[in-house]
Amino acid sequence: MSQISKMHQRITKSEAMTGELKQSKELFRIMFYRSPIGSYIIQNGHFRLVNRQLAHILGYEENELLGKPSLSFVLAEDRDAVRENAVRMLKGGCSVGYEFRVINKQAKIKWVMETVVPICYRRKRATLGNLIDVTERKQMEERLQQITAEMQRSNTELEQFAYVISHDLQEPLRMISSYTQLLAKRYGKKLDDDADEFIGYTVDGAKRMQMLLHDLLEYSRVGTRGKPFTPVNCEHVVKQAMANLKIAIEECNALVSYDTLPTVMGDEGQLVQLFQNLIGNAIKFRREEAPQVHISAQRRNNIITFTVKDNGIGIDPQHSQSIFEIFRRLHTREEYPGTGMGLAICKKIVERHGGHISVQSQPRQGSTFYFSIDMAGGEAK
Amino acid sequence: MKSTTANRVIDILIVDDNPGDVRLTAEALKDCKVPTRLYTANNGVEAMAFLHRRGEFADVPLPDLILLDLNMPEMNGWQLLAKVKEDAALKHIPVVILTGSGEREDIVKTYKAHADCYVPKPIDLEQFTKKVKPIVNFLLTSTKLPTEER
Repeated sequence: MSQISKMHQRITKSEAMTGELKQSKELFRIMFYRSPIGSYIIQNGHFRLVNRQLAHILGYEENELLGKPSLSFVLAEDRDAVRENAVRMLKGGCSVGYEFRVINKQAKIKWVMETVVPICYRRKRATLGNLIDVTERKQMEERLQQITAEMQRSNTELEQFAYVISHDLQEPLRMISSYTQLLAKRYGKKLDDDADEFIGYTVDGAKRMQMLLHDLLEYSRVGTRGKPFTPVNCEHVVKQAMANLKIAIEECNALVSYDTLPTVMGDEGQLVQLFQNLIGNAIKFRREEAPQVHISAQRRNNIITFTVKDNGIGIDPQHSQSIFEIFRRLHTREEYPGTGMGLAICKKIVERHGGHISVQSQPRQGSTFYFSIDMAGGEAK
Repeated sequence: MKSTTANRVIDILIVDDNPGDVRLTAEALKDCKVPTRLYTANNGVEAMAFLHRRGEFADVPLPDLILLDLNMPEMNGWQLLAKVKEDAALKHIPVVILTGSGEREDIVKTYKAHADCYVPKPIDLEQFTKKVKPIVNFLLTSTKLPTEER
């Protein structure tokens, strides 16, 4: 090949490279200056290049930022952390999604998320940064945290309130009941039949109110007196619940059976109460034949779903939600005694364990209660 | 020397801030197997004055039995129980907790503090009498109370 030809080839190659370089520069210019993300280059701690979006976030014109120390826009409390992050970035190569606060021209604080990467700019070490305004998200997060905290506080206060009133109201109630009985005992012969009847209603009313207070106390205790979660063997729990129901089970020849049951993280005392209420209900709301109750469990990922199935009187599906409300009764006290608090307590216990409770049933066709327990732990996680 | 319980009046101190409850306990203790004499203190502070025979209580006897409520103003039942059980001159006196609370935590807490017996007060008068009388009868007849110098 002739010298001229070689030279021509070199010139063509050089022209092509110049063209590519031009294209790259143009591409960088478009990406940098038209980006919806605040972009900038910092060298020796000062802004060397900034785009419009960064200026917009900080509330300045672009030329007002150039040459200014970048840290001067960072909130004083966050400066050390931002500096440390920059050092870490220089050692490790880049940083991902780092959040801190800046102050804009109007002296307003804004939350931003920044990623930085070390680059070479005009033959010297520099930092290329990209930054977005996350103030709105941060404000929403803070509001959500506030609302959650307020709800927790209000819930705790309500539980405490229920606990105190149900506890403290028992004392005067005991006075009413005891002294009415004392009146009857001492002056019964001097009173007529009407008086006996009135005394009877007073004492009966006081006793019923005491039962209501007792169950309200039990309900509030689920939240206020719960124990920390530990590994609990559910077969032991069911056996304990059955032992507590021994007399009721024997009286109606109930058959209570269960499959292999897992160990879960929970409050053992409350889980005994949960099974005891469900098995107790299955026995209480029985049909003419001997009650049969079967308990089983299924695991899917971290959630264990327990099933308590009976052959009792069943529940009309229209009540399948309301039966879990406090003091909800579907029958008269004469038909089935009780305060209507048992399933509300069950629901509260299940929810404390991070689960849900539901029922599937038809009148006279038995009921199947389902409840889940989060293996990762509910409240105690 | 204090005589044995068989042939003398037994002194019982009821510590309770509710006069209604004091009266009920007195009613429940009527017709005990042994004759009893009841004294009352409204709270722990008054009970300690009684037990140390200070001020208006200078001439009272040291009780054979204390029936103690838990929730009281000034010095509550637990505080009084602790003071009685750490006092060499008093710790021999049996203390029966007689309270409206049936709380599991309260029961454990009081036994740990060396209470001799825990009785939640039932709402039914008959039940209350049935519960209180046998305990007091048991402590005063079947068991031997200490015979301390008075």
